[in-house]
Amino acid sequence: MKRRFSMRALLVTALTLFAIAPLLMLVVTSFARGWFYPSVAPSAVDGSAWADVFRDDSHRVALFNSVVLAVSTALVGTVLALPLGRTAALSTSGVRRTVALLAFTAVALPPVALGVGLQLSVLTLGLGGTVFGVFLAHLVPALGYLTLVFLGVFTRWDTRLEEAAATLGAAGMARWTHVLLPLLRRPISEALALGFLVSWAQVALTLLVGGGAVRTLPLDVLAMLQAGQDQRAAAGALALAIPALIVLGVSRVATGNTPAVVA
Amino acid sequence: MNSSIVSTRQRWLPLLAAGLLLGVPIAVGIGYLVIGAIGGGNVNGSALARVLRDGAVWRSALLSLWIAGAGTALALGGALCIALVLNGDSKMERFARTVVALPLPVPNVAAAVAVLLLLSQSGWLSRVAAQMHMITTPAQFPALVLDPWAIGVIVAVVWKELPFLALVALSLQSLRGRALTDAARTLGATPWQAARTVTLPQLMRGLAPSVIAVFVFVLGSLELPLVLAPSSPLVLPMLIQERRQALDAASHGEAYVIALLATALAVIAALVHEALRSDEA
Repeated sequence: MKRRFSMRALLVTALTLFAIAPLLMLVVTSFARGWFYPSVAPSAVDGSAWADVFRDDSHRVALFNSVVLAVSTALVGTVLALPLGRTAALSTSGVRRTVALLAFTAVALPPVALGVGLQLSVLTLGLGGTVFGVFLAHLVPALGYLTLVFLGVFTRWDTRLEEAAATLGAAGMARWTHVLLPLLRRPISEALALGFLVSWAQVALTLLVGGGAVRTLPLDVLAMLQAGQDQRAAAGALALAIPALIVLGVSRVATGNTPAVVA
Repeated sequence: MNSSIVSTRQRWLPLLAAGLLLGVPIAVGIGYLVIGAIGGGNVNGSALARVLRDGAVWRSALLSLWIAGAGTALALGGALCIALVLNGDSKMERFARTVVALPLPVPNVAAAVAVLLLLSQSGWLSRVAAQMHMITTPAQFPALVLDPWAIGVIVAVVWKELPFLALVALSLQSLRGRALTDAARTLGATPWQAARTVTLPQLMRGLAPSVIAVFVFVLGSLELPLVLAPSSPLVLPMLIQERRQALDAASHGEAYVIALLATALAVIAALVHEALRSDEA
């Protein structure tokens, strides 16, 4: 029993280190000043890397684009995926499986391969190098993820409450506003978080469809790293990670500690 | 039971909507890849023949498969370990389950930067080794990023994907309960025998679709290899990018062909995933 407990304690310690060390590395590097090899800790700390990231106009534009893209992808993706997942889940198993297959394909396609094809489509529409074009590209994998989420939710859905509301005279819209939406608060929170994260972390589709004209925070972080600006890259990486962690945290609180599952 | 909520006409609506919202972008994207593959090669099929004869493409495919295979296998091993050891309700186990989820939402770019700062030859681990007098210069530290075995990418993959597989494994554990494991123990199985013959097979069966999903995501991922993978051979997504950005039209055709092959792999993975998922359901 004691051996099992110590094995657990060892595993928990190792897991904690494994999960936290990379994030801690970003925090320390982003505040480090004059951190030369082989020192294991910086000789001084300041917030200049953070100030650089947020003072620079182009980085501010990148941050703004990232927020706009992530919020709009989350909202539009959820609004489209909810009815799609619901009607597919309540339909025949053949329809359900076909929709699931299409949704998973949208998620599984390598973003570079999907992006090369979407780039040509978006260019044909005259939307190449625009934020709207990039938004349309982000929407494809996001819609795949969110359709899978709502398919899962509605496959286990109990329709008796809706049927009772219909029996009591609630029309279609009233059923949605008074029965469905209050019951769906949790999955909708999860879907919004997931949609936000899919767009927020996107690189390949932004790079290909945006054609370098649409700057986002992940692209700026890669550029900082390639320029050898480790401190700024660490600050930028944390600026990417913190909202993602907050979104997960908020979603967990809203959903009663059920983690949103993101690959 | 559902008939009063969803009418017959509405049942075909999802197929139409999914076709329009998901099928059309995918089909158009693949269609453009096919046109690009044919057009870029000038002669139908020549780009495909060049790609299939190109040793660099096969080396890239092998490297990508190695990263996806090793990363997924290690993440799966860690997830199973967590599900077997930390599935209780003590404070320590609940804490571990919360901590393990931390890397889950972190974008791949941020994960790549963090792993680079930790594992590069001038990174933190190298500095610790220097302080312990194990090395005197950064060059003496083993190359763990941009290395031929892609160790840095695999570490980043495990950091990102272990939480996902661990959460799925833990949720499978709590859904299935301990009845079968307890029955095996009652019948005289040791804890290890019960885990090996009852719990693990059950978990593996439930985890199979998620494992396929992780494998295919890693195979197509660009961000981690962009920062951490070797420049020769390139992983498949980077090879597609390189051929796309080349000046000659023939290379563009090859990029489309490689993208089509990667797409075919993803579609096969999607079919396997759906088959396993429906089997599991």
